[in-house]
Amino acid sequence: MTSLLRRHSREAALLSAIAALFLLPLFGVNGFYAVSTFRSLAIDNLPVLLAAAGMTLVIVAGQIDISIGSQFVVGGIAAGLLAKSGLPMPFVVLATIALGAVLGALNGLLVAAARIPAIIATLATMVLLRNGVLRATGGDWIQNLPAGFQWFGLPSGVAQVAYLAAAAALFGAFAWAMRNTSAGRAFYAVGCDHEAARRIGLNPSRQVVAAFAVLGVATAVAALLNFTRYPTIETNAGLGFELKVIAAVVVGGTAITGGRGSPIGTLLGVILLGSIGTVFTFLHVNPAWEKAIQGAILLVAVVADTAFRKESARG
Amino acid sequence: MLSLRNVAKTYPGVRALRGVRLELAAGEVHALLGENGAGKSTLIKIASGVVQPDPGAEIRIGGVVVEHATPRQIQELGVAVVYQNPTLFAELSVAENLLFGEDGAVISWRGRAAAARALLARIGAELDVERPVKDLRMAEKQLLEIARALGRKARVLILDEPTASLSQQDADRLLDLVEKLRAEGVAILYITHRLEEVLRLADRFTVLRDGAYIGTYPRSEVDRARLIQLMAGRDLAEMFPKVRVPLGETVLDTRALCHEPSGVDNISLSVRRGEILGLAGLVGAGRTEFARVLFGLSPATSGAILIDGKPVAIRTVGDALAQGLAYVPEDRKEHGVVEALPIAENISLPILRRLAGVWLEEPREEQLAAELSARLGVKAASIYVAAGTLSGGNQQKVALARWLATKPRVLILDEPTQGIDVGAKAEIHRIMGELVKEGLAIILISSELPELLGLADRIAVLRRGHLAGILSAEEASREAVLHLALEDNAS
Amino acid sequence: MVDKTSASAATPPGRPSAFARWLPNAEWVLLLVLLAEAVGFGLAHPRFLTLDNGFEIARLAAEVGLLAFGLTFVIKTGGIDLSVGSMMGLTAVTLGGAWSLGLPIWLAALLAVALGGAGGALHGLLITRLRVPPLIVTLGTFSLYRGLAEALTGGSVSYTGFPASFLALGQSYLAGWLPVQLVVVGLLFMLLWVLLQRTVFGRELGVIGHNPGGARFAGVSVASVTTRAYVLCGACAALAGVIYVSRIGQAKADAGLGYELTAIAAVVLGGTSINGGRGTLHGTLLGLLCLIVLQNGLRLAGQPSEIAGLLTGAVLIVAITASRFLFQSSARPAAADESLSNPDELTMKNSQLALLIAAILGGAALIAVSNVFLARSVTEAGSAAVQSARSASLPASAGATSVAAAKPPAVRTVVALTPKAKADPYFVSCKQGADAAAAELGVDLLWDAPTDPDPAKQTEIVEAWITRGVDVIAASCASPEALSSVLRKAQERGIKVISWDADAKSDARGFFVNQATAEGIGSTLADEGARLAGGKGRYAIITASLTDSNQNEWIKFIKARMAAAYPGMELAAVQPSDGQRDKAMTEARNIVRAYPDVKVIIAVAAPAVPGAAEALKQENRRDVKLTGLSVPSLCKSYVHDDWIQSIVLWNTQDLGYLTVRASAAVQDGTLKPGATSFSAGRLGSLKVEGDQILLGKPFIFNAANIDGFNF
Repeated sequence: MTSLLRRHSREAALLSAIAALFLLPLFGVNGFYAVSTFRSLAIDNLPVLLAAAGMTLVIVAGQIDISIGSQFVVGGIAAGLLAKSGLPMPFVVLATIALGAVLGALNGLLVAAARIPAIIATLATMVLLRNGVLRATGGDWIQNLPAGFQWFGLPSGVAQVAYLAAAAALFGAFAWAMRNTSAGRAFYAVGCDHEAARRIGLNPSRQVVAAFAVLGVATAVAALLNFTRYPTIETNAGLGFELKVIAAVVVGGTAITGGRGSPIGTLLGVILLGSIGTVFTFLHVNPAWEKAIQGAILLVAVVADTAFRKESARG
Repeated sequence: MLSLRNVAKTYPGVRALRGVRLELAAGEVHALLGENGAGKSTLIKIASGVVQPDPGAEIRIGGVVVEHATPRQIQELGVAVVYQNPTLFAELSVAENLLFGEDGAVISWRGRAAAARALLARIGAELDVERPVKDLRMAEKQLLEIARALGRKARVLILDEPTASLSQQDADRLLDLVEKLRAEGVAILYITHRLEEVLRLADRFTVLRDGAYIGTYPRSEVDRARLIQLMAGRDLAEMFPKVRVPLGETVLDTRALCHEPSGVDNISLSVRRGEILGLAGLVGAGRTEFARVLFGLSPATSGAILIDGKPVAIRTVGDALAQGLAYVPEDRKEHGVVEALPIAENISLPILRRLAGVWLEEPREEQLAAELSARLGVKAASIYVAAGTLSGGNQQKVALARWLATKPRVLILDEPTQGIDVGAKAEIHRIMGELVKEGLAIILISSELPELLGLADRIAVLRRGHLAGILSAEEASREAVLHLALEDNAS
Repeated sequence: MVDKTSASAATPPGRPSAFARWLPNAEWVLLLVLLAEAVGFGLAHPRFLTLDNGFEIARLAAEVGLLAFGLTFVIKTGGIDLSVGSMMGLTAVTLGGAWSLGLPIWLAALLAVALGGAGGALHGLLITRLRVPPLIVTLGTFSLYRGLAEALTGGSVSYTGFPASFLALGQSYLAGWLPVQLVVVGLLFMLLWVLLQRTVFGRELGVIGHNPGGARFAGVSVASVTTRAYVLCGACAALAGVIYVSRIGQAKADAGLGYELTAIAAVVLGGTSINGGRGTLHGTLLGLLCLIVLQNGLRLAGQPSEIAGLLTGAVLIVAITASRFLFQSSARPAAADESLSNPDELTMKNSQLALLIAAILGGAALIAVSNVFLARSVTEAGSAAVQSARSASLPASAGATSVAAAKPPAVRTVVALTPKAKADPYFVSCKQGADAAAAELGVDLLWDAPTDPDPAKQTEIVEAWITRGVDVIAASCASPEALSSVLRKAQERGIKVISWDADAKSDARGFFVNQATAEGIGSTLADEGARLAGGKGRYAIITASLTDSNQNEWIKFIKARMAAAYPGMELAAVQPSDGQRDKAMTEARNIVRAYPDVKVIIAVAAPAVPGAAEALKQENRRDVKLTGLSVPSLCKSYVHDDWIQSIVLWNTQDLGYLTVRASAAVQDGTLKPGATSFSAGRLGSLKVEGDQILLGKPFIFNAANIDGFNF
């Protein structure tokens, strides 16, 4: 039991933090504890969760991608324009996901083939894509989308449940695969040590490209689940999205140095960081404090974690 | 089992290998020998598929001709390599490291743990299969690598300096294991600088020199001197020539020195001017840890350090420097030199502040570096080339030059000749002799007993962090040292 | 101290040339790029290669430069500091707050810089003592510092009215031509350069970056040296914050937003390895100049800022890939075969030559690309012929200094409009009207702004227009304080200036095209809100970001009007949407749940109204009414479905149209001070009150009339 707790100390700490956070509204006004609150919390955080799952993979593989905010809006715009061109929605979905994979793989190639450090390569693509969007749209929203675009034409209640189910299935499958398949573990191996991975017959470059491509797909799916919530597409969306996602992954216990991390931790990180704002609104706290507190949580989480690791390494 | 013929490899501007052949039979231990830079590593990389040879080479594994094979394909043909520095996945568990990629697409963790335990049992290692590998000791990692190779049903096992960082005891265990595997019919290619090991084990010897194939010899045709001559291409003077110098007064004295976190326990030692004090013990006995305490890397938790009989406080490396201590660490690439920096900057690093205070003074710096590297015989195009481009022996000389620049009174050498070739080793020994003549006190940590026995005036033996005994040169013998180093013989 | 002659006489053999020692990381590639930029832009625009413009470039580079210089130290140790931009925000607020509490301004500035150092010390502590990766530490403080700045000011407080002696730091010119902050930053650069390149400390930084373990074993106090690098970086960021405040003239929590990325890009472009070890400070300076000159040159060429953004990304990839190829050989030995350990490896003449060629080609390609864009955008504007005639005729008078002399009479009027933000649907619809007027009148229209409201970047755009020599500048000011000083400068250079949408200080512009006063907007919104709520109940406001000055102004008047006219109305909450629809939806949903008795939501940002409407729709809360300030086209469907009861706005297309009309009239002299009416094309005759041209009252769009508008 103690070893189980020790091995999953981060998860345990996060769970307690989340529990504490969700208990806070007991002392505020009523109305927080309703199914609908949690459902919309979940719906709002689905895009972050899916992208964060992909980001977990990329960070586990020893890389990072700060261009996903731009990829996110590009995905949304692509989906909107394709839908507007009269393509049936299933094809819109496929094309958007394919585009995501291409954008992700492009980042991967810059890192693996051109050997640009990931943070720099994706900084460049972030700037490129963001300015490209501005250039292409002039800042105008995509409007007059076909009726089948919002919620894929489903009634919003049904659609929300469907989205949740789809995302849960995708995330569950992803988390399972990352833990239990050889393909998933290969990313851990590459993140630990390129040379060692090469020696057991893995191709680190290919793994890196694959990780970025998976993140690209995850971001595209996130964009689909986000933008189909509306009848129009905002071209300014996704600013700061990458930081939200990376913060959640890091709070979730994934080591930025690669090789260690789990999608479950990421899930908890997303829940914790994604719920603060809502809980604060219910507590009628001044929203000006939200950013400061998120930063503080991130610092406390990593500092506590390092302190704990030191302690357990000694003991 | 493994047959390499007419292997050549040319890198831009360098011919790393030419005309090399190697035949490895089942149930054979085959030693591959050569000085550093002779091309052993390149040959291993070619045999394991990491590097492709120049066209014209013929590689057969178990009779199958192999061309342009990936490391993975070679592995599947039954060839496994255990590298000098274990290449394991630090964050992953023992079980996962052992059986990575051995399952199908989906992993059964329970089955994997059981298989891992069985494998470890086969080589007689007891490890918690759930532990992350980063928590293991070096010797345990080495065993893990071998177990992993066996798990791959390897018929050909290539061992690259497997004992380089192991204590005598761990090394002996490993050699036993190699013999056991030979008896099971595994073909073993064994690369080492420790000639005693291969003279004990190997059935045949292949020697490379400067990328060229020198020959393959059965055990009956070679002895130590012949092998050295074949590798060096010349006769070497006797190894480990001890320079006798009159001993001066005591320079360094430790009184009940302790550092609890690393297990250094109550060590009292002294060393005199002109003396070489050997420090023996198994890996993990606390030799490096003791050196770290002396050098301020992990300050003592209790006890005292006396220099010239006066107690001094050494809390940081800076303090140690100020007291005239110098430490050439064990891990040359990580700690001994900064590979990316030029030789000159490597040498001047500890004395920058002493040279010129706040400001850099490159002319003086470079002059000093040039003098020292000339004195130690560093072979390099100039003192402006990056230390990382040098061979191990030359890197070690740079690491040594750095500390001589500080004009130390006590020099601590931690495994100074580990993994460097015979010629460079002899030169380092010669330099040590010169230094003690000048009145320096040297503390020599080495896992190679003959080296200690040959060079040291006295040998202090550590066991589990405390001092097990001190032997004079006359008392010291292989048996006497091991007697003290091994626990079951404790008085 | 050292006998130079004896030292040089004893210089060991094989010493690399001075060139190789001072530019070890292919910094000379940047010199080539810079040269290519200078030649390209110099040809494209005559005023580019003037001393004036040079100083302007340097002035605008001062703050990012400071960040980049500090970051060079940190990145050289193998670390990173993402929080420098946030630190600027925090120091700006600290400076303003301390000063407003009565501290002398220079003492407050000192305090701010000390705070920066303390922030850096915190980073150093967490990184060296607790071994938390720098990326993570500073990602945390990135949020923390900015968050603290917002929390301390509630986001909305901004400090202005600083003494002239302080403002001189960021706005004055020594001897009339040398920008003050350039002197400060220049001196600091020299100091830092000596520190990094010529001291033991600087050497040790690089050693730590290459190999921290090796450094420690060689007696370097790794923790202390690393911490000092972060302290230095924090202090530089804080100083950048101080200079920012002095340049902009106001201290607010949003100072330096997004600056960290430009600074990091400059450092990395300058040859400093993101993995630590390699790097020079002059390299960083070159990298920074490459980026800034690119921006400036494109602005002078009348290119929108997103082109500069695109090229920045491209330059980053090209330059780093190029230097990767150069350094491939030195990066290899770690993994390479021992027999490859050849001392001659670093002298790879052929690859250097190849790189040289690649760099030149790259530079040429960049210029070519920018020219293609130039040509295309000019064609798009429908004035290709005039534009090329203009650029062809300009080099002839390149030496001329006065704007009038540089402008042959046959050339068309150039009107430059800057909205507050380019990606805002509100301004997108303004542009449609502006384009229409420009086409009617036959004037050339320049339209540029930052993506999101950012007074500093907007100032830079206007600066470039001044240098370029446009005829009229019409500005919608993201911050009146910030823009007024540069608009005054434009007036001094003989450029006609008017303001539109959001006013500047009245002495900094001729006319103000007034669509509606903040008070008018606030009151109308309050009236609508109260009407929808039935005069009694709670209301909530969704704003853009908490630091948005316009929104804060409107909110002030909403509150005032509510308090005065509708005592039954009570404010429940003000929530930020960050100008994003997604967040507006979440916030609206939380509001209606957390404040179940809210009767009406007033959303005061264009994307926030449809966001809030979507929330109400998905929550099915017919009982909550929604009004706000937005663009009809985004809201039309929600208005018809009665999720939005009304939106308050003027005709934004008419606003853009009127602004261009007024600009042209000011230029050709038909609109002079003292006029009481103005004939504005299709809008007919409009009233002029004092120096304000009135568009008319805010208009209330609702289900009955919204279909009549197509913007």
